[in-house]
Amino acid sequence: MAMGAVGLAPLFATHATEDEALAAMKALMGTVAPRAGKVTLELPPLVENGNLVAIKVSVDSPMTAADHVKAIHLIAEGNPQPNIVSFFLGVRAGRADIGTRIRLANSQRVWAIAQMSDGTFWSGHADTLVTLAACTEVI
Amino acid sequence: MSKTSRTLVTMPKVAAKGEVVAIRVIVQHDMESGFRHTQQGERIPRDIIREFVCTYNGQEVFRADLHPGVGANPVINFFTVATETGSLEFKWVGDNGYTSSVTSQLTVS
Repeated sequence: MAMGAVGLAPLFATHATEDEALAAMKALMGTVAPRAGKVTLELPPLVENGNLVAIKVSVDSPMTAADHVKAIHLIAEGNPQPNIVSFFLGVRAGRADIGTRIRLANSQRVWAIAQMSDGTFWSGHADTLVTLAACTEVI
Repeated sequence: MSKTSRTLVTMPKVAAKGEVVAIRVIVQHDMESGFRHTQQGERIPRDIIREFVCTYNGQEVFRADLHPGVGANPVINFFTVATETGSLEFKWVGDNGYTSSVTSQLTVS
């Protein structure tokens, strides 16, 4: 892929690291530590084009007034910006199961953080291999 | 400058009371991330949809905050509980004065 040296330097400087992803998660959760489980993240293990990656996230929850999912956040470790998208649900969502399409700039781990109505956080993650990266093309 | 674009909402027209209905929305938008450069090395300014809200008879049932990591022409598949006959309004708000909205009717029996 043709890429000018001018565009190259600022490009890689803006890539988020694992630490920045952790910081983004901390900003969402505060001092609460997430527990692993309940969250299922479906991501293709091998991505040919990082510009459009189908992703599906579901949270194991009865979605009743007493116990439901309040929010689901998707966090990328290797994108220029760790936050991808945040979904805010409630009892009226009926099912905590969301599909969307995201961009991935690199082979990386993607995290999903679910905030429950009782204040706990649950996390799940998926790893993927990206052959053609998003947002590196020069136009 | 106010902008808008094409949207497509796929959902059932009728549902039983209490049924969980699947909703699929797609909106036409480049979602320019703000991280890309021209060949001259100039950064292309960010131009994305930032927010999506679904309201059911005026009450919010689903909301999403979008960031540059969402792909072009954002698709969101989600669910809602059919509580009463009425209208669902889908609204997108983005950079540079972008807004789109569409309303769908749902008959609950």
